[in-house]
Amino acid sequence: MSADFILYLIINTLIVVLVSPLFVSLVKKVKAWTQGRRGPSVFQTYFTLIKLLKKEVIYATGSSWVMRITPLVNIGALLVAALFVPLAFVPEPVAGIGNIILFLYLLALAKFFMALAGLDAGSSFGGMGSSREMSISAIIEPTTVIVFAALAFVFKSLNIFDMFATSATSGFLSTPTLILIGISLFIILIVETSRIPVDNPETHLELTMIHEGMILEQSGRNLALMELSAAIKLTLLMALLINLIVPFGLITVLSAAGLVAAIILFLIKGSILSVIIGLFESSMAKMRFFRLPSLFAMAFFFSTLIIIIEVFA
Amino acid sequence: MIDPAYVEGFVKILFVCVIVTAAYIISTRNLLTLVSVYAAQSFILVLMALTLWAVEGSPVLLAIAGITFLSKVLIIPYFITSIQEKIRIKRDLRFHFLSPTTSLIISIGLMLVIYIALSRIAQETTGTSSLFFFGAVIGISLMMMGMMVTFSRKRAITKVLGYLTMENGVLLFGLFVTELPFIIEFLIIIDLIILVLLTTILTVGLDSTLEEYHQRIHRFYLWEDEEAP
Repeated sequence: MSADFILYLIINTLIVVLVSPLFVSLVKKVKAWTQGRRGPSVFQTYFTLIKLLKKEVIYATGSSWVMRITPLVNIGALLVAALFVPLAFVPEPVAGIGNIILFLYLLALAKFFMALAGLDAGSSFGGMGSSREMSISAIIEPTTVIVFAALAFVFKSLNIFDMFATSATSGFLSTPTLILIGISLFIILIVETSRIPVDNPETHLELTMIHEGMILEQSGRNLALMELSAAIKLTLLMALLINLIVPFGLITVLSAAGLVAAIILFLIKGSILSVIIGLFESSMAKMRFFRLPSLFAMAFFFSTLIIIIEVFA
Repeated sequence: MIDPAYVEGFVKILFVCVIVTAAYIISTRNLLTLVSVYAAQSFILVLMALTLWAVEGSPVLLAIAGITFLSKVLIIPYFITSIQEKIRIKRDLRFHFLSPTTSLIISIGLMLVIYIALSRIAQETTGTSSLFFFGAVIGISLMMMGMMVTFSRKRAITKVLGYLTMENGVLLFGLFVTELPFIIEFLIIIDLIILVLLTTILTVGLDSTLEEYHQRIHRFYLWEDEEAP
């Protein structure tokens, strides 16, 4: 393992943890603006996390060890997944890090434990949240697999590092199918991070909540870890979209000036994408649960097309 | 002269945009954006014709771009929008046979079938470039997708938009594979405009007698200057 790679591990994790809450607040801010409110400060998520970290944890009576380890498993899985998606600097991949299938399974592991914890406390809302989350996952899973297969097909690699390196060297819109990949990835981002039209991250209304339902029983620093891992997931999927579609600024050779520029560029691109997500969420109403497959079918259609087109041309 | 590789890349991006618009036309339930997406799709075809003209320099392509822009980007969408404003239908929620989701999945299958069918023909006629082959596949697929819109929707306006999409597919096929004589292209456009005029009749209802029909036209304030109350 080279020094570059160790440096990468530290830098990437630091950026992910520091930047994630910012993007979450930014989306909230944009949604507030479109509703004519001023909205919380863009640093509000940091304050909330710090406050939660200081609070004690209370477990529901009868909850088991699942409840206790879930926040740790979640944050652990997502921090490892964060190593798979280079935000600003793409080193040579080492020891299987960056494998896209492993990346998907790390996300699935976190989701699985979250659903278990939702059931564990024995509250009906948690159970409903878990049940809905698992139903949606079962439907979105084939689409996700096809989208990532299409990615692998276009970039001729299963490794996210290689994909980013290819897209960074070939520049903006090197293959037209990237437009389709962008649309599909965006839909997956919306579904995976529980946003409108699939789920509403702001609601605690028992009829509609999915993600919030599952973490309803978490408290104190455990809740902070769950919130942080949700934010990290958002950042990771955003970074995947950004660095594949608009890769400029991404560096493959480490230098101090390049790194700073790359981080600033990533912040700008991420903020723009957050604004787009905020506007997208504001322009839609939440979909009826049974209409969701039509949204996934769109992503499925485009990613299958990518594969067909890549075979055609 | 323009670099051919650059042109090929640009045309491929346009192909992808055509597919995106077609997918939107198949799956949307919102009629207001449907027309603008149709106009956008036609505009993409105009761009394609202009690109091909820039490479090949044949004046027919320029003429096709011109009349497509006039008729399909400006006149027809304007006309359908004005009908929509008067009959005040904003959404199309009723489907025959296929839901939008199934239509999308079936159209993937259709594209595959067309691809396989055409690749056999292309094997026999040597010397066809991949771009033209690709154009033919997308063109026929667009036709099929338009056909699916036509038979899976219940509202007359959406049916007509499906038909117009089919025609866009024919145009795309014509641009890339056979060069249609300009006069035919022109006649098709005139047909389309008449069809859109007929849409008014279809939208208000064919099931009536002429007298009733006249009353209905009054009821919906079509072809009159005053606004609906």
